Amino acid sequence: MRLTPLYLKILLLSLFATITLSSFGQDDLEKALSTVPSPGHQKVSATFKSTKLINGHTNETIYKNELEFKVDHRFGDIAGSQGGIKQFFGLDNSTDIRIGFEYGISDRLSIGLARAKGATNVQQLYEGSIKYRLLEQTTDDYIPVALTLFGSNTIAAVHASEDPASAAAYHSFKDRMNYVTQLIIARKFTEGISFTLTPSYIHRNLTAFRDQNDLFALGAGARAKISKRMAVVVDYFIPFRNSADKAYLEGVNGTKFYNPLGVGLEMETGGHIFHLNFTNAAAIEEMQFIPQTTSSWLKGQYRWGFSISRRFSFNKK
Amino acid sequence: MKTTYFILLISFAGLSVRAQNIIVSKNASVSFFSSTVVEDIEGKSSTANSALDLKTGKIIFKVMNTSFQFKKKLMQEHFNENYMESNTYPFSEFKGKIIDPADFSKDGNYTVSVEGTLNIHGVIKTCQSKVNLVIDKGIISAKSVFRIKIADYNIKIPSIVFKNIAESVEVRVSAIYQPKTI
Repeated sequence: MRLTPLYLKILLLSLFATITLSSFGQDDLEKALSTVPSPGHQKVSATFKSTKLINGHTNETIYKNELEFKVDHRFGDIAGSQGGIKQFFGLDNSTDIRIGFEYGISDRLSIGLARAKGATNVQQLYEGSIKYRLLEQTTDDYIPVALTLFGSNTIAAVHASEDPASAAAYHSFKDRMNYVTQLIIARKFTEGISFTLTPSYIHRNLTAFRDQNDLFALGAGARAKISKRMAVVVDYFIPFRNSADKAYLEGVNGTKFYNPLGVGLEMETGGHIFHLNFTNAAAIEEMQFIPQTTSSWLKGQYRWGFSISRRFSFNKK
Repeated sequence: MKTTYFILLISFAGLSVRAQNIIVSKNASVSFFSSTVVEDIEGKSSTANSALDLKTGKIIFKVMNTSFQFKKKLMQEHFNENYMESNTYPFSEFKGKIIDPADFSKDGNYTVSVEGTLNIHGVIKTCQSKVNLVIDKGIISAKSVFRIKIADYNIKIPSIVFKNIAESVEVRVSAIYQPKTI
């Protein structure tokens, strides 16, 4: 076997390199450390600060043994026929209020219990929910997106309506149940910018006459940090409605369906998260604001809303 | 053929000469404590790396900021997101030198002074500390405790949590160096 000159050169060069390197003490130490393997795929943390943007969920769950207490509030229409100074720009009314608890069973799995007023005639809502992180994004893009599954059952406790066409004309307990399933796909693009895409499926056991029991929808949301502790948040949902049923319902009620859009400001203060937001959705629960938003931004039917959350830790060590 | 072997041999010989006086610890631990009336906060990493040059007394400590573990997971998130900004500054590092080198070949318990620079959150400051060295059957372990001021490293504590986080934190480092195999 004959040595090629190039091979020889490389060998000589590496020999030379090793000798020269040994003369620099500190660099040598750093070199000694650089041989230590770096620890695998690092998980991306804090894609979002909160479990919800405005109306829609984020991929975030509650960490193990931590409890989140959250209050959501939506006021009345700011402008339009129901708003203005007479209603003090909506502050005299509240279209929906939700009080909820969410607890982390593990860092990936959390369960929730909530009570909401309900914005339509389907009221006195009790929501049980479960949220599970299927996948977490990694910093090296080995896993490029985070996937979280959300499922909830919302039970309406309101007195059954006499009107057989009403969405609250309950005959049995089963009729009061409403299911939401969402797959939340999220990605943190930079330190300050994160997005979500949320294919959703809603099943309501009982609806108003000719309303859809099964509804698919697509949600999208984003967060852009404007400072270390403040961010602008946006979310939007498109329900895929059956057009014949939509036309019928809109004809009967004289109202139109609109896609819920929310914009807001998120402030984080170590344990507390405050949201100030504006949305045309009157309801807070998924099974209501996705299929039943009948107020429009363009008609001034958007409202001020806020949410306050506080995390408690029960970790002992 | 012979030449190849010869060159390879020499280059490896060169490598071993270079590495002979350097010992490494791959699972050194770094922890810090912040104690206030309101809250005690502790972050601990046991995956820090350290290298020590026995000949020159030069020493280096490097820890990945995201490797710090906290009792409260949310606190860990805040530590990386709001304070350390681990995405921009992934490592904290100490580079320095033992001023009064000990005789590393003899077993015993020594207290030496280390002087160098500490790089945290992109800010480099000089730092001096006493280090306790224990040499037992050729295995060297090092321990040190010192305090650092958070404000020195341009880490801002918002007024709302000012009472929860101490102005200066106690840092504890310890490493057991793998003995040389060559």
